[in-house]
Amino acid sequence: MNLIKKALNSKKMVTVVWVIGLIILWEIGAAIVAQTKRSPENVLPHLYQILESVFSTNKVNSTQTALQIVLSNAGITLLRAGIGFLIGTAIGFILALLMNMFLTVEKTVFPYLMIVQMIPILGMAPIVLAITKDINKSRIVIAAILTFYPVATNTLAGFKAVEKEKHELMYSIAATKYQIYSKLLIPSCMPYFFTGLKISAPMAITASILVDTLQGGGGLGTMLSQSLKHAMSIYVFWQIVFFSAIIGILSYYLMMVIEKILSPYKRKGPKVKAEVNADEKTA
Amino acid sequence: MAVSNLAAKDEAEIDKEDRDLSMEKDFDIEIKIKDLCISFPDKEGGAPITALQNINLDIRQGEFISLLGPSGCGKTTLLRTIADLQQPTSGGISVRGQSPREIRLQKKYGIVFQNPVLYDWRSVRRNVCMPMEMMGIPKKERTARVTKMLELVGLMEFGKKYPHQLSGGMQQRVGIARALAIKPEILLMDEPFSALDEFTKEKLHEDLLRIWKKTNKTILFVTHNIQEAVFLSDRVVVLSPHPGRVSAVVDITLERPRSLEIKNTQEFNELVVKVRKSFESL
Repeated sequence: MNLIKKALNSKKMVTVVWVIGLIILWEIGAAIVAQTKRSPENVLPHLYQILESVFSTNKVNSTQTALQIVLSNAGITLLRAGIGFLIGTAIGFILALLMNMFLTVEKTVFPYLMIVQMIPILGMAPIVLAITKDINKSRIVIAAILTFYPVATNTLAGFKAVEKEKHELMYSIAATKYQIYSKLLIPSCMPYFFTGLKISAPMAITASILVDTLQGGGGLGTMLSQSLKHAMSIYVFWQIVFFSAIIGILSYYLMMVIEKILSPYKRKGPKVKAEVNADEKTA
Repeated sequence: MAVSNLAAKDEAEIDKEDRDLSMEKDFDIEIKIKDLCISFPDKEGGAPITALQNINLDIRQGEFISLLGPSGCGKTTLLRTIADLQQPTSGGISVRGQSPREIRLQKKYGIVFQNPVLYDWRSVRRNVCMPMEMMGIPKKERTARVTKMLELVGLMEFGKKYPHQLSGGMQQRVGIARALAIKPEILLMDEPFSALDEFTKEKLHEDLLRIWKKTNKTILFVTHNIQEAVFLSDRVVVLSPHPGRVSAVVDITLERPRSLEIKNTQEFNELVVKVRKSFESL
């Protein structure tokens, strides 16, 4: 009993238990589906079948294996998602800066931001596609739209969370506005900014895949819908599902790693124990 | 006639000498607070709340002054007004014949807050360095001053640490080093040690007195701790609340340099009692 308790308390163990639980559930589901449906792989194939398809050398269209299709199309989608993410991040950060600097901007712009955020991406995507008339541009625009809001709101919250005393300290040494931003506000909003990035990175990828489904011309989403329509092996679909899930999680961790690299103070260091005494000798 | 003339002349000369003396005295005065009143508008729209009423106080150059009083007596407000963080409603403050704003813009104030207010993303060295960066002091000079300041507060080995790795007392030392690094004329301290435990506090008291002696700054020290005020100060300004006003100024005649042993003396205890009595007589 104690051993189980101990194991459950460690964070890694919790994750492992969760993953094992999920696999068991999946397999139970797959076993049931296999007995009841005519083409069970369309509904819920066994995990080993998906894994097999990843390493299979059988060509699912004239030239490529399932894995090659996924990877080559992922390149198109992820590149556009990445560009959109960067643009959205830049716009979000600049908006946060402007909203913090000018109250009128905050008062006028913020409601619109919320409205843009509230329009479902499925509704927005065709409109964007109609305007840009290009699936690649649409991917970028939609990824940017989904990215900028979490970045803008979190960064703005970061600016506002700076303690009054830190501002007063700046005031007491007659700091300029530029100095207040560069030395105080921007560095101290970084944890908030990265929270925004961690939210929006997986969202940008999801959005980009979703936009793909609207039109042909390559991309994970296009392959996804083709596979579902049985234009090619259904395992392309399953591979894309897992691949995008993994990429989404990885994008989150990528943001975390970048944050750690950029903010060395967050790395854990030993706490100094002893109180010091500044005696005459040292001074 | 001749005699009376002579007497008149003498008197005139004595007058002149007196004036000279008082002029010299005036020159010595760093901060002059005259008829200072501060009131805040009431949040519910009632009559304005008077935080400070008719404060008159002269602070000499190099003096260690404590502003002592219970919470709500306006001691922090007074400090903030001197620091130009708060504007007087009427009356005024002159610092070396200039307004607090002019002194602030010349960067002659060093401020230490109750919280250390350190920048988490900067190491100890870079925290001390920050105000100097903003003043455009060349890098070589900055590095030299940081080293000197860390030596002064006894944190030489901890320059590369980050604030969260330090204890509360050490964080406050960093705050003091940072305030002193810009070579201010006046050090304003707002209950800097009130969050620390008694042992750490006593250590910092001794260190602060040593630093004060070495740097010869004028120090304004806000506190609600009677013993602390008596131990540190040349004069203790006792403030009473509702509305905030000066109820007594007690000269602390203890000899310097002071060490912690002085707290065991009769004289120290008598002064503590004297300060406490000035509260009771309110």
